[in-house]
Amino acid sequence: MALSEEITLTRTIETSWRTPRLWRFAGYLAMLATVIVIGLPVYWTVSAAFKTTGEIYRIPVTWLPTEPTLANFPQAWNAAPFERYYLNSFITTLGGMTAEVILAIMSAYALAFLRFPRKQLVFLLLLAALMIPVEITIVPNYLTVARLGWINTYAGIIIPGAAIAYGTFLLRQAFLSLPYEVIEAARVDGAGHLRIMFNVVMPMAQPAIVTMALLSMVAKWNDFLWPLLVTNTTNMRTLPIGIFWLRNSEGLINWGVIMAGSLFLIIPVLIVFLMVQRYIVDGIAAGAVKG
Amino acid sequence: MDQLKLTRRQMLRMMLAGGSVAALAACGTSPAAPTAPTDAPAAPAAATGAPAQVSQTGSTVTITYWGSFSGNLGEAEQAMVQRFNESQSDIVVDYQFQGSYEETAQKYTAGLQANTIPDLILLSDVWWFGFYVAGAISELDGLAQQAGLDFSDYEPVLLNEGNRQGKQFWIPFARSTPLFYYNKDLWAEAGLPDRAPETWAEFGEWAPQLLQREGNTLRRSAFVHPDGASYIAWLFQGVTWQHGGKYSNDDFTMTMTDPNTIRAAQFYQDTVRDLGWATLGQDINRDFLGGAAAAMMASTGSLAGLTTNATFPVGVGFLPKEANFGCCTGGAGLAIPSGIPDEKKLAAMTYIAFATNTEQAGAWARDTGYMPVRISTKQTPDMVAFFEENPNFKTAVDQLPLTRAQDAARVFVRNGDQIIGKGLERIIVNGEGPATVFADIDAELTRAAEPILEDLREVEG
Repeated sequence: MALSEEITLTRTIETSWRTPRLWRFAGYLAMLATVIVIGLPVYWTVSAAFKTTGEIYRIPVTWLPTEPTLANFPQAWNAAPFERYYLNSFITTLGGMTAEVILAIMSAYALAFLRFPRKQLVFLLLLAALMIPVEITIVPNYLTVARLGWINTYAGIIIPGAAIAYGTFLLRQAFLSLPYEVIEAARVDGAGHLRIMFNVVMPMAQPAIVTMALLSMVAKWNDFLWPLLVTNTTNMRTLPIGIFWLRNSEGLINWGVIMAGSLFLIIPVLIVFLMVQRYIVDGIAAGAVKG
Repeated sequence: MDQLKLTRRQMLRMMLAGGSVAALAACGTSPAAPTAPTDAPAAPAAATGAPAQVSQTGSTVTITYWGSFSGNLGEAEQAMVQRFNESQSDIVVDYQFQGSYEETAQKYTAGLQANTIPDLILLSDVWWFGFYVAGAISELDGLAQQAGLDFSDYEPVLLNEGNRQGKQFWIPFARSTPLFYYNKDLWAEAGLPDRAPETWAEFGEWAPQLLQREGNTLRRSAFVHPDGASYIAWLFQGVTWQHGGKYSNDDFTMTMTDPNTIRAAQFYQDTVRDLGWATLGQDINRDFLGGAAAAMMASTGSLAGLTTNATFPVGVGFLPKEANFGCCTGGAGLAIPSGIPDEKKLAAMTYIAFATNTEQAGAWARDTGYMPVRISTKQTPDMVAFFEENPNFKTAVDQLPLTRAQDAARVFVRNGDQIIGKGLERIIVNGEGPATVFADIDAELTRAAEPILEDLREVEG
């Protein structure tokens, strides 16, 4: 196999006790910088949701709301049918993610463990698909979906994103890094492909699968352009478009209300992430093979 | 081993079967949706969400209206649609928000390909022309006659923008103009008269008193310009006219290298670099509200929001003069797609007539801060009362008859706004010579205008 079969995601990071202090200090510094760069906009979003518009526009900026207000939340909630947006977002995210994970696991299994003609070609096509930006596929996808009569339907939102080359690629690499002895042992014991996939490969590759599922979920939950394109009516729209609706097209933008709406979007993902993150750390096939 | 081979084949077969099912599905449905050319009038826009109504006398016609209004403006637009739907029983308008002006136009472009188009569409000043050239929007004179709509009461400046060769294609609806805003508290602090400057020369004299410096850093500027992305080319349009220049002629020959156009650019550069009383900001509303800038030119559409959220009294005035007065229009108007049944076209026209009638134009202006598009609106009692309460809004409306339509280079050349905006950034931020930069911009605009000119010759002869 000419291509590298390693995947950085599942490799455990080796911490060496011999690392000089200076390097560790630099490491902490880098972590701190990362936290600030990522955390500051999040903090700003949260604090702005509790500010009045006048205060948001005030210079110098106030880091803590001086006159905290909860008015932005009901104003955002009442400005658009957010219950409906939540329902649509749940359906499209769940449907899209499930389809993507199942397809990715099955195709990755085939690419990693099966022998079939032109396997390399299939993999190369997959890599090629990985290089194509999503924006380019939007127009052909739109035309296809429109001719199928799927405009303004859940199918129209979900199906074009149901198979993503990235997921297959990620899982194939993860599957190849699994200890092959375990799979061979299962085969010797008479396990078929489905059994190997469900009972051997999937538990061992759990961190990669959960990571991929989470990435897929966040991407679909936050997706803006595609749902906007294929839907026309309010009752088919998803949360990110709902937040866009809060924004004025000309004139002054009511940022407090938009930030409150953004929290509607962020909070469910945050909860799911907190619940699921231990599965990323756990489940590593430690001790499956005796060294 | 035998078992393994079998499974592999089974899996291969499954994959192939799955693939062909998808292919069959694609084949099976394609004849159902005919790929009609965009100019075929018979093709109904069946997939737009609203069910296509077959013409039967007495039945209601439902029309789909694509627009870009969200937030407060969206609520005002929905209220307008509701008033229309309640006022009569023949037509039901379904307002569907499609994102920004750009996204609405892109969705319409995609919709033309896939034959999923609305029956009424809101297009901004820079987008309608492209669809006109492509033949994607209808001529409206005949429809207006059928709907009993008389164009003579519309503000001529606004109406004529949507007119090509004596035919109307685009009806003004949500139109705005630039306006001079100033911070009255800072004005009083500097001991200036409570009005906008008459000329840029006068403002040049006032500016040093409005500045606030701390060492070498400017704490407060007298004036703030937006950057290219926030449409500096729109506000600079009026300034070029004030200096006796312009972006282009009506026949699409570019005049960026006209000495007066260059003089206007030199003036902009000087305000920031040599004189140092102006800055360039990404969000001028924020700088003005936060007190980081004492004055700015901005859209009349911001008036209501600024007045409500400012901690100081907001003053407004006409744009300052140089050699002349100069102020352009902006905003969006309504158009009717060409590929829909006549019955729907007429229904869409009926809605346009309602939304821009004397009363509704006034209600829309009061709700949003856009200019009333009807001349007679200004005399309605509601409007007179509103003017008394909001003298600033009266100033904005008084300036309207003095405005004119923008030059073709910005609105009709694809991406023209951004080409000019980037040029101005080079002049102001990088300090490059206006003459050299505008020579480049002139060439770039000329190149960008070529495809449009070619299409235009075909359409207009």
